[in-house]
Amino acid sequence: MDTLANVAHGFGVALTGINLLYCFIGVFIGTLVGVLPGIGPISAMSLLLPVTLSGTPESGIIMMAGIYYGSMYGGSTTSILVNIPGEAASVVTCIDGHQMAKQGRAGPALGISAFGSFIAGTFALVALMLVAPRLAGIAIAFGPAEYFSLMVLGLVVLTFLTQGSMPKALLMACIGVVLGLIGLDSITAQPRLTFGRMELIDGIGLVPVVMGLFGVAEVLLNTEQAIKRDIINAKITQLLPNKADWQASAGPVARGTLLGFLLGILPGGGAVVASFASYALEKRLSKTPERFGHGAIEGVAGPESANNAAAGGAFIPLMTLGIPPNVVMALLLGAFVIHGLQPGPLLIAQNPGLFWGIVASMYIGNVMLLILNLPMIGMWVQLLKLPYSILFPLIILFTILGVYCSSNNVFDVYVMIAFGIIGYFMRKLGYEPAPLVLAFVLGPMLENNLRKSLILSQGDLWTFVQRPISAACLALALVLLIAPLLPTLRKKRELVALDEGA
Amino acid sequence: MSRYRLKTIASAAIYAVVAALLATAAGAQDYPSKPITLIVPWPAGGSTDISMRAIADSASKVLGQPIVIDNKAGGGGTVGPATMAAAAKPDGYTIAQLPITVFRLPLMQEVSWDPAKDFTYIIHLTGYTFGVTTSAESQFKSWKDVVEFAKANPGKVTYATPGTGTSLHIGMEQIAAMSGIKLTQVPFKGGAETNAAVLGQHTMLQADSTGWRPLVDAGKLRLLMVWTGARSPNYPDVPTLKELGYPMVYDSPFGIAGPKGMDPKIVAKLHDAFKKAVEDPAVIATLAKYDMVPNYKNTEDYKKFVVEVTESERKIIDTLGLAKK
Amino acid sequence: MNDQTNVKFRLNNSELWGGLIGLGLGGFVIWSGLKLKLGTINDPGSGYVLFYTGILMCVFAGSIIVSAITEGGPTLASRWENARWSKPLLIIACLTAFSFALEPLGFLLSSIPLMLLLLRLIDPVRWPLAIPIAVLVPLGMWWVLNRLLLIQLPSGLFGIG
Repeated sequence: MDTLANVAHGFGVALTGINLLYCFIGVFIGTLVGVLPGIGPISAMSLLLPVTLSGTPESGIIMMAGIYYGSMYGGSTTSILVNIPGEAASVVTCIDGHQMAKQGRAGPALGISAFGSFIAGTFALVALMLVAPRLAGIAIAFGPAEYFSLMVLGLVVLTFLTQGSMPKALLMACIGVVLGLIGLDSITAQPRLTFGRMELIDGIGLVPVVMGLFGVAEVLLNTEQAIKRDIINAKITQLLPNKADWQASAGPVARGTLLGFLLGILPGGGAVVASFASYALEKRLSKTPERFGHGAIEGVAGPESANNAAAGGAFIPLMTLGIPPNVVMALLLGAFVIHGLQPGPLLIAQNPGLFWGIVASMYIGNVMLLILNLPMIGMWVQLLKLPYSILFPLIILFTILGVYCSSNNVFDVYVMIAFGIIGYFMRKLGYEPAPLVLAFVLGPMLENNLRKSLILSQGDLWTFVQRPISAACLALALVLLIAPLLPTLRKKRELVALDEGA
Repeated sequence: MSRYRLKTIASAAIYAVVAALLATAAGAQDYPSKPITLIVPWPAGGSTDISMRAIADSASKVLGQPIVIDNKAGGGGTVGPATMAAAAKPDGYTIAQLPITVFRLPLMQEVSWDPAKDFTYIIHLTGYTFGVTTSAESQFKSWKDVVEFAKANPGKVTYATPGTGTSLHIGMEQIAAMSGIKLTQVPFKGGAETNAAVLGQHTMLQADSTGWRPLVDAGKLRLLMVWTGARSPNYPDVPTLKELGYPMVYDSPFGIAGPKGMDPKIVAKLHDAFKKAVEDPAVIATLAKYDMVPNYKNTEDYKKFVVEVTESERKIIDTLGLAKK
Repeated sequence: MNDQTNVKFRLNNSELWGGLIGLGLGGFVIWSGLKLKLGTINDPGSGYVLFYTGILMCVFAGSIIVSAITEGGPTLASRWENARWSKPLLIIACLTAFSFALEPLGFLLSSIPLMLLLLRLIDPVRWPLAIPIAVLVPLGMWWVLNRLLLIQLPSGLFGIG
């Protein structure tokens, strides 16, 4: 009953005119920066932080939060339309989302990701209201050993991302890990694999690698095929998901939401692992796994719900412990402190109006986002009707700008062009980029946590098996790795062999 | 084409070139004409990050351009400044918070930067309050318990620090050497991570700056000692290092610097803006949340201070046997 | 299977080449790992993970090579069969030229010619359409980023942009 009174109080705060306006500005800017790949919520929020200082803490934080979850909605748009993931969490959306667009089903793909995001976002908020304090424990139950095992599980997931040969996917994953380790070692500050290049000291950015391997490589592949390119504008049958799409997506949305919410609570990498894990889960559960990678709507619905639910889950450690699980949350923490508030175990008790007001505003914001995004689907689909000879220069310009804006560094544009060329030859030789990207994100965390766990256990490898959460992750990884190896791999090999022979 | 027209075209071209050259040379007068990036070499959300955000916000009002915080964590706070020294242009649009590890780590191992040459020092700002905490559920009720346990179990006591070679790592090693115990350091990237590590009892202790404060206030963490000269007014019951029998004070002062070779006029502009910022009551209030007080030094004094600190650090590192071979 | 496009132990087997490149990279990573020092299992050094990743790379590359030799693979030429291979090459050339021009010329002066080249060289778009697109789109993007979002784009020697 207490909760209900609090929620009512929260809506009282959120529904005041000024807070509604701030909420709208927030989600609007969020949608805008979400659609532009590279310009993430982080740069928008840092620039706007001073602006929020003039208002009340509630208004300021409502706007900042709006930018964050607003950008999560927009993130999938470019993945589906032009195969450019704006952030790591939407890499997996490219795999089936862009295939759907090529088959003239960009509308349903965009539609299901907007609805999935809405459902997941709403669920995450309800869960945030009801169980936030009780779930705080999850965030701190993960120490170095647990993270290491979670990362191993994450890497095993990549075996589900590939349709081709397993050794190739694993080789790509190793290369991803190595690329992720370039730069100064985060433990000893020694430069690694920098070849004396100053720009590499900071490591290679995720955005240029992803945009090169996906965006630019896709353009190069498309332009060499004279016939294939016009498939996109051949037939656009529907704008919104139909009944069959909904039936196929209901399960993935529900499972993705739950998975995303729980993984989102974990500091670091939660949303990324959640989106990849959801894809793997759906492919594993599907009766027709061979459709994945060729435009299966489940492969869009699950991951998109997962990464939006993760955005909600991420508020839990911040609000209850004052521990920000990612950079965006840390910016929010900064906003709290500059407004004179201290997020931590006492925040909800000391400032109930603020906490419930923000949660209520996020609910309203989600509704606004759905209303804002649905009419835009029609507009985005129109964009695909452009002839490819006009569209592809725009895509290239878009990637260049996105990469430059993500770091303000011309070197990153070179990196993107290089990875575009590498990605083109990789794809020609049958190597897929998704495992590389997943390993690139998880590799540094894997390395760092492995080294910390070994220091903690004084070199005892049993630590990974003795700790229950870690053991559970490793056991799950083992099951995932062995189960499909026995019967299906052989079948898959035959399929590939047929493909190549044809 | 008449000669007259040729002449006008030529003079117009020359004029355009000169104008373009003037436009690029006008840097110092116009500065700042675009947002400034301030590298904070700690993860977002720690005490340094939040206090730097407050300072930057106040300074940006003086400069009339936004200051964008870029969190480049790792290497005990050296990855950010090292990246800046190596890659940024000395145009005043990229500056970094300079923690003491930037001077200390070169004494301990091979690094890519030289603190005496690679930076343009701008202003010295403030220092930290450090403390050692443990989980409220831990068996350790006081520092004495830790020492006793460590004597019985050498190397079994683990502590989380924000990085190898940070004041917290060096300080803990000094304490361990004085008490005749052996502790095991686990380097994390900053306060947000060490908080989670000690809260989840992945490490037994946490040695960090005051990012632990809300958790200590809420009774989730127990503060065992502080490293300041006098007891903290917020925690009058917690003993200082001196009171526990270790004659030391650690505050790890820090300031701001840019890449080498910055225009003195730009340095002066930045210095003035940040000086105003540490005098701003709102900034002082934010700093006070983390038990930090402004410790202003101007550009010249900061340079001298760097030399002194490097010398005293060299002595400590040598006695601990951590110096590079 | 056709012998022309699927060869076993022959130098133009594309699978073999992919594996060999992987093996070379793996060897390099092992060497870099060793150079960065492995440390001990109690306190792993900077090269620890690199070293073992390198070994894994060699194992996977090895298995690619083995299956290339035993099962054969498509020839390099067959990968580009029926493809307009000159088109991607042209785009790559344009992008390379662009990356050299970006810093000295600034964003606007380098991206407008790039757009024009891409619009005209691959599948020629009519001039009356190509020119407005090439000029207006970069200009519009520049305005949005520079004026609304306060993100500076490279302005180059002439300070345009």
